[in-house]
Amino acid sequence: MYSVRRFAFLGLILFLITTGTICAEVRETNLWWTPDVVTKGGEKIDFLLHLIFWLTAVVFLVTQGVFIYFLIKYRRRRGVPAYYSHGNNSLEIVWTTIPAVIFIALAVYSNRLWNSELRHPAPEGSIPIDIVAYQYGWHIRNPGRDGKLGDFKPVVSPDNWFGLTDSTPGAQSSEAGKDDYQSENLLTVPVGKPVVIHLRSLDVIHAFYVPEFRMYQDVVPGRQIDWVWFEATKPGNFELACSQLCGSGHYNMKAKIAVVPMEDYQKLVAEKSKAALMELEKKKATSLPPDPTVPTVASSR
Amino acid sequence: MSTMVVPHEVHAGDHAHHQQGIFRTYIWSHDHKMIAKQYLLTALFFLIIGGLLALGVRYKIAFPDTGFPLLKYLLPTTMVSEDGIIQPGMYNMLFTMHATVMVFLVVMPLLIGVFGNYLIPLQIGAPDMAFPFYNALSYWLYAISGMMILYSFFVPGGAAAGGWTSYAPLSTTEAYNGTRMGQSLWGLGIFVNGLSSISGAANYITTVINMRAPGMTMMRLPLTVWSLFITALLLLLAVPVLGAAAALLFMDLNIGTHFFTSSNGGDPLLWQHLFWFFGHPEVYIMILPAMGISSEILPVFSRKPVFGYRAMVFAMAAIGILGFIVWGHHMFVSGMNLTLSATFSISTMVIAVPSAIKTFNWLGTVWRGSIRFTTPMLFALAFISMFVIGGLSGIFMASTPVDLFVHHTYFIVAHIHYVLFAGSILNIFAGVYFWFPKMFGRFMNDFWGKIHFVLTFVFLNLTFFPMHNLGLAGMMRRIADPTQYEHLRNLQPLNIFITLSAFALGLSTIIFFVNFFHSMFHGLKAPANPWQSNTLEWTLPSPVTLHGNFEKTPTVYHGPYEYSVPGMESDFLPQDQPAKPGTRVAAH
Repeated sequence: MYSVRRFAFLGLILFLITTGTICAEVRETNLWWTPDVVTKGGEKIDFLLHLIFWLTAVVFLVTQGVFIYFLIKYRRRRGVPAYYSHGNNSLEIVWTTIPAVIFIALAVYSNRLWNSELRHPAPEGSIPIDIVAYQYGWHIRNPGRDGKLGDFKPVVSPDNWFGLTDSTPGAQSSEAGKDDYQSENLLTVPVGKPVVIHLRSLDVIHAFYVPEFRMYQDVVPGRQIDWVWFEATKPGNFELACSQLCGSGHYNMKAKIAVVPMEDYQKLVAEKSKAALMELEKKKATSLPPDPTVPTVASSR
Repeated sequence: MSTMVVPHEVHAGDHAHHQQGIFRTYIWSHDHKMIAKQYLLTALFFLIIGGLLALGVRYKIAFPDTGFPLLKYLLPTTMVSEDGIIQPGMYNMLFTMHATVMVFLVVMPLLIGVFGNYLIPLQIGAPDMAFPFYNALSYWLYAISGMMILYSFFVPGGAAAGGWTSYAPLSTTEAYNGTRMGQSLWGLGIFVNGLSSISGAANYITTVINMRAPGMTMMRLPLTVWSLFITALLLLLAVPVLGAAAALLFMDLNIGTHFFTSSNGGDPLLWQHLFWFFGHPEVYIMILPAMGISSEILPVFSRKPVFGYRAMVFAMAAIGILGFIVWGHHMFVSGMNLTLSATFSISTMVIAVPSAIKTFNWLGTVWRGSIRFTTPMLFALAFISMFVIGGLSGIFMASTPVDLFVHHTYFIVAHIHYVLFAGSILNIFAGVYFWFPKMFGRFMNDFWGKIHFVLTFVFLNLTFFPMHNLGLAGMMRRIADPTQYEHLRNLQPLNIFITLSAFALGLSTIIFFVNFFHSMFHGLKAPANPWQSNTLEWTLPSPVTLHGNFEKTPTVYHGPYEYSVPGMESDFLPQDQPAKPGTRVAAH
């Protein structure tokens, strides 16, 4: 009996030392805690996260404290019988009402935040970016100098992954699409301007997940998701991870996200759209003239 | 008082039955006690399999580039490279099958198959289940489904690798998953497993409603029976939906239907709705019986009536009802309408209330008790502590904006393991230590039981708690090689730490297995009522050998938790013994 107790005691000490060390390490380095948020509105999510953290931490400490106190105080002792009681209805009402009020308040607050952050359209003048996920990577279409994406059909297919209204060279897209440029596994966005992301998938469900943006959204084949938008607040390099199991290459389905200052972004866009337009001219020159009897889809819209 | 006196012919017939040969006694037995033992041994076998799969998962995460030389002799090169490195596709199979095995072949059969079968007839004073044949069938369907799921590792392409949630269209299109055979077997296995659950559930419900001994009113049922009864109702309503979904998945894979493919008018989200309509009640299916076990063990070793019996029953009923309107909280960010997410967020917050009520009532039960720290009690007490962690971490995901950040990260993995391992598995251990004397007539070794408890308690926390940190730091679940990501490389020391703890947790379970099998033959002989408990199974000899259970149908005089009744010499009052005139026992 003594050896069991000693063993339990040693186990407890070992447990406290290791958890203590880990907690100290977390506090010291901030390594194993949330990464710094880099989008507008992300701090509101962090606030709620911290609110729930402290709320649950207090509840946890109080219940565990009471529990351990009871276990020590009411351990079996000779001559002290257990108290015969079947419960107490007023207590039941109290400990039903208090959690109910707290939980419903949390739900109401969460929903307000959900509505204000997600459930309203992206602000006017946001930069639209078209992202098409596939096994295993990200096709990304960026607007040119006009800040607009060319038209596209909702249906995406492997040979025309953005669903451009006309993918034949020379009539690549609608007027707005002429200066669009594409990138593979690289998303470049400016600081301080809202960006709205259009998400589609070519095959299975993928997910757009950037922990620093406090942002997760599944990308579902057959649906186009237009409600994801963010505004980066500081420059930096981040990783876009697919966070929905999508097959054997899932573990490595990632893209670079470069958040750059506005001037750099404008320079990049100017360069890329110029290159895109030149490419288009070159293709037009080399390809046969389009058949005038067949109207292009773009012009018929 | 809806009770049914069992005709005596049943007993006579069963006596004759008992004389039958080995086949009818051990393999195709209709005796609920033998079926419970069959479930127990089979599920413990799968526990080893599921645990090994988990260790494989952890090994790959911690040491993604270090081969495990032994593996290359066991597995084909499509799964393990020449150097014994687990390939990413194999890794996906490991965690998919770990979860499938643990959910469908370990936790459900242990909680419902073992304790449901063993305890329901004994605790309500019935000779057997209402439909003994279905009961035997239910076990064999379960065993067959387990074989199917295990066999899928050896078919071309390997086992299912789409996660235990099998999200379409990854799971339903061969071009995307490359494991048509394995995924089909998964679907079939789940379907057959569902048949087993449904026949079990129908049996339990009928037995509880129709076969209670005289005097055993619903409000005198032990809380284990209540929890299993509500669980059976949930099974009966939820599992057919999963079965239907699995059948559709099978057809999509094999005969070219397009239920879950968007290009032909199907919808991938339909799978998620069907799966989670089952999947969320499933979570409660796996925790309610565990709660029932701890509600049974706490009063016995506190020598005190359970605190708020009615509140406990109503809380479980509330969980059962609300459990059907919260499935959408798995889909906040799935691409479904955002207003729906808000609605499901509210119902999810509300379902936390009954769990809180139960926790407070357990605290009330130990309050002013006379607590004995036996091995089963230690596990039951640890469950309450750990369940608080699992419950509280659920609040993070219930809040939609926070879910936007923690969705599909290790935070979720930490949460599910605090509920399923620290909730269900701890209570399964508690229940095995507690009812082992009744099942096998011998005690499990108490010293090694306590060693097992301490190691389990320490290493489960060291394994699962740091996963919260991984999740908050942004580590996705289901990633074969976290070192591919810059933002996860800092977390690698923590991942290695978790893996080492997980291996220690796995090793500590060996103590349990050795103790279990050794005690079955060499343990200390147990008396009929070793824990001085009130429920009806303890009025029978240990082990219960008679096929009809009770020589004479017992009569029940009061509730199951009359401990330390003032004015009585002994501190317990079995349900089949009337209280001394003048003593005050609860009205119900």
